[in-house]
Order: sequence, then C-alpha cells, then structure tokens
Amino acid sequence: MAKQLTGVGATPRSGVGTVIWYERESTVSADTAQEPSDDPAVEFERFETARNTAIEEVETERDRTRERVGDEEANVFEAHKQFLKDPQIESAVKTAVESGVVAENAVREAFAGPIKQFSAMDGMMAERADDLRDVRDRLIRILRGAERTDLSALPDGSVVFADLLTPSDTAQLSPESIAGVATVKGGRTSHAAIIARSLGIPAVVGVGDDLRTVTEGETVVVDGNGGTIIVGPDREAIKQYEAETTAAVTNSSVTTANSVPIEVAGNLGTPAEAPPAVKAGADGVGLFRTEFLFLDRDAPPTEDEQFEAYYEVCSQFADRCANNDGHVIIRTADIGGDKPIPYLSLDPEENGFLGARGIRLSLEEHTDLFETQLRALLRVAATDVGDSIAVMFPLVSTVEELAAAIDRVERVQTALDAEGVTARVPELGVMIETPGSVFLANAFAKRVDFLSIGTNDLVQYVLAAQRDLDRMDSYQDPLAPAVLRAIDHTTTAAENNDAWVGMCGEMAGDPTLTELLIGLGLSELSMSAVTIPEVKQAVKDTDTAAARELAETVLACETHTEVRAALEMEK
Amino acid sequence: MERVVTVVPEDGLHARPAAKFVETAGEYEARVTVEPVDESRPAVAADSMLAVTGLGIKGGNSVKLVADGDDAEAVLDALEAVLTETVDESQ
Repeated sequence: MAKQLTGVGATPRSGVGTVIWYERESTVSADTAQEPSDDPAVEFERFETARNTAIEEVETERDRTRERVGDEEANVFEAHKQFLKDPQIESAVKTAVESGVVAENAVREAFAGPIKQFSAMDGMMAERADDLRDVRDRLIRILRGAERTDLSALPDGSVVFADLLTPSDTAQLSPESIAGVATVKGGRTSHAAIIARSLGIPAVVGVGDDLRTVTEGETVVVDGNGGTIIVGPDREAIKQYEAETTAAVTNSSVTTANSVPIEVAGNLGTPAEAPPAVKAGADGVGLFRTEFLFLDRDAPPTEDEQFEAYYEVCSQFADRCANNDGHVIIRTADIGGDKPIPYLSLDPEENGFLGARGIRLSLEEHTDLFETQLRALLRVAATDVGDSIAVMFPLVSTVEELAAAIDRVERVQTALDAEGVTARVPELGVMIETPGSVFLANAFAKRVDFLSIGTNDLVQYVLAAQRDLDRMDSYQDPLAPAVLRAIDHTTTAAENNDAWVGMCGEMAGDPTLTELLIGLGLSELSMSAVTIPEVKQAVKDTDTAAARELAETVLACETHTEVRAALEMEK
Repeated sequence: MERVVTVVPEDGLHARPAAKFVETAGEYEARVTVEPVDESRPAVAADSMLAVTGLGIKGGNSVKLVADGDDAEAVLDALEAVLTETVDESQ
C-alpha cells in the first residue's frame, strides 16, 4: 500500500517523478567553528567583494523572475538587494572582523540579531526573517567559494524535496524538467509557492517533518490538487496522475493509439505568435485571425503589406507543415462593430454580433478591402512557402454568401492572371459558427475543401447568448447538448462530402475533451500554443473506436449535467 | 527639515515599498531618519532596510521624516512620492 503524506497544494496540477533532496546552503552556515583570522582588513575586503557578487546575482535573479513570473515576485529580490547594502549589517560585520573572526563568521554574527528580531514579529515580518536567511546564506556560500547547487540542471522528471525553498531556489527551477516540488515548511502564500504556481510546477508545501521519511530516488506523485504526496504509487496511480502532468513538446505529427492522424495546430492573432506556436509543437495554423492588420490605424493595409504578413507566417510554418501535413488556415477579415476601425464607419449595433460583420461586410460595403486581401492571399499561395495555405470565410450563413465569396476568389485569380502576376487559388473553407451554417453544412461541404468549427461563436449563436454580456456567462458552454449536436451535424456533413473538418476555439484546446472531439469526427484541432503539448499527448492516448462510443453516449444526453456525468465516467 | 507623511500602500513600509524607500534615501546626500508618529519609537536611519522594515509601519500609518543636508527638500519630496504611490499588486 502506497504511503500518503498531506500538505498544502500550491499549484493545481500533479506530477510523477523521482525524489531529489535539495540541501540548501543553510547547512553550510550551521557550522560554527570560530576560525581565527590574520588580518581584519583582508577579511572586510573579502566581505565587500562577496557582497558585490551577491548583489549581481540578486539582480540577475530579479530580472529572470520578472520575465518568467512577474513584477511582484521579482520585487522580493529588490528587498534582498537592500538588505545586502544595509549599513547596520556592514558595521556589524566590521566590528566582528575587527574582533578577529573570519568574514564567514562575521556575516553569521551580523545577521543573527536581525533574524531573531524578525522571527519574533508576526505575519509578514516573520517572512522577512526567511529573506534574511536567504541573503546570509548567499553571502556565506560566495565567501566559501562553494558551488551553488544548480537547480536549473536537474534530470528530467525530478521531484525536488526540500526543507524550504527560497525565492532564489524556486526561480531557478525549470518547468520543463521538474515534475514537482514538495517542502517541509512553507504555506500557500510563501514566495516559493507563488513562483511554482506561476511556472506551472506541481507543488505541495508545508508537509511537515514526515516528508523527511521519504528518501532520495523514491518515486512519488505530487498531487497539487489534493495537497498530497503519494510515496511508491502503484501503476494505476501513476497512470492516473501522469495524464495530468504537463506533456513534453512533440514536434512530429501525432496519431491516435490506433494510428489515425490528427492535426494539432495553433491559433494566431499576429505573426509574432507564430514562433511560440512552432516551439510548442504546432503542426500548422488552424486559425490565423487577420483583424490585427486592420485595427489601430488610419488607413486599410495595402496588398503588399498583407502579402508580407501572410508570407511571414507561412514561412515560419513551411518546414513544419511539409513534415507534418499541416495547414496554415488564414481567415479573411472578421470585422464587426465591437472593434472600432477609424477608416470604416461601423456601429456597435448595426455591425454587432447579429449585424453586418464578417463575410457580410466583405461582400457588401467593403468589397475593396476583401479583394485586396484575396489578392495578397492568392499571391502568397503561389510562393515557395504557400503550399500549405488555406483560406476560410467567417460568419457565412447562406449558400449565396459562400457562392459569392468563391466567385470573388475566382475573379481575383482571373484578374491576377491577366496582369501576369503569379497566383494560385488555395484550399478554401468555411467557418461553422451560426445555426444557418450548421444546417447547411452539407451544401457548404460540397462547395469547399474544409469546414472549421469556431466554438466560441457557435455557442453564442446556437444558444442566442451574447458572448460579451456578463449575465450570459453561464450560457457560454460548449458542452451544451444543442452545441454538441451542432458539432456532430457538421462533422457528419463534412464526412459525407469528402471535406475535412477542424475546430478552432477554446474547446479544441481542452485536453480533457480531446477524446470526445476525435469521437465526434474532427481531424484537426487548433488552439493557443500553451495547450498544444497536452492535447498532442491526449491524441496519442485516444483510441478512435472508444472515442466514437464516448461521442455516441454524450450525444444521447439531453442535459449538460448528463454530458458531464458521461465524461466523468470515462476518466 | 521635517515632514509627516501618511503611508498609502496597503502593505505599508514592507517588501517593495520599503526597498524603494531605502534605495531612494540612499541616493541623496542628506541624512534622513524615519519614525512612526502614532507610537513612540526612536527614529531610525532611512537608508537601512533592516531598520526601516523593523519599524513595522502599516498602510494608513503616519511617519515623520527628518532630513539634514543640502538636498533635504529634494529627498523629502522623493520619499513622500514613494510613500504615497499606490502599488498595483493585482498582477
């Protein structure tokens, strides 16, 4: 029977790994031998040199923490820096070295009083005592020329066990390799807990002295949700928790357990978001929103400017798409009255969620903008990086609209040909986001290469609940049975007409729904970069027959509660 | 030259505001001391993080700053700005 220890969950995720006991430098300062010094001046100079090094280290850690965690935690290091520069400490060290002790012991003596004083105070003041210990130990380590334990270079799958982790310790941890953290002391609001949380490292703090009964090399589960440490978990428990760990990045394309390929792609709002998506393992782009090109400026973007932006994203993904059979799906401008655009006169209501927006604007008032965008897209499609490009139209709800959009594409191609400009009509697709588009999915699928379900808008329109109204929050539920039936109708229509079907929207990035979505017949899932590794892992764990069964069970449900229960059963 | 200032940041003279306060005090020639107004405690050096933090000044408390030196007024202005700055800790 596995042993279970209880503490406080600091990060709501869990991990499995091998224990490494981290002995902090405080053990160094436990040594109290009074070595006599030869020369007080030399000892004081050693202190000053060590202090300068310490300040440099603290500044580096401050910047690193600011970048990775945030200003608030970075400010801890600002306080450390001021403690290092404190004149009281300096004069206490001076007095001590003059009495004939070495710098190491002088530092220890200088900090002893203040640490005692702060420890006796309540709440936040007591935390300052931890800061002082951290500062003191840093100085002593530097004075001894001791190598600092490198927490940033631990083997993958390490679970760091420690008495207490200081902000400096925690800031070094790399979320990519650390499976978890557990400490004897500390609470949920300790700096270490806050930093672990921001880095997404599973953590349980304040376990107490029982933690010391666990020896290095043992396998443990760190369950940050339940606030427990499971020592020597059985296979069942490991499997359960492994599913919850942050999956490693997979750069190759993935298939389900029974070898059905699923494209896992990224959603982009600007070309700058392309490199992080590539890094997270995206096979392609499932939704490149082009609105950024049109917002915050006084005149519409030129054809060449757009060409540059699309070319840029396609080139970032050229290798990945070629290797992984990925696509770069670019959506034509989905402009509406919710975002003011100076050179277009849009009205919040007339051009609101139920007004003239998306493809409606492109086909009526702003055909000029639409044509310019299509020219840029068709030109990029014919370039060396344009093979994977696909274009999709937003907010289509009638066949007439779709036919008009396709007609426009063909006319643009003819015009470019006549001008002698190299261009190509890429794969075309439709966003499925209105009830109209769901009912007509068969008719759409006959006319285009692919459909892509935009769940955020689909939920809003199917349930007639505006997304930006607070009171409608409870309606924004992709697991509403009406929405699930709309998704099923769409995927079935695509399958019957040899079109492929993907999903972009929050729902696609939820790894707990991956199996269901595959069961519903989606072959491409597109999401923000952060969830790509976990969804890729979820794809690999899915068996399509079981997924289909799950989908059928869920589609038979008539309430959200039943849907949830069916999904829970599956876990 | 002296000035009484009410401390605005909720956490008081603690962590970041304290570090900023001490750092600012150290940037001027004038010697500055700080003491709580509401309780009788001796004034401490404003450029010592240990001393300033040790006062345990909370948000809403008033402190008396005493500066002595050529740039006394400038340092008091700067310190008052630090003490009355609202910090956004929501991030």
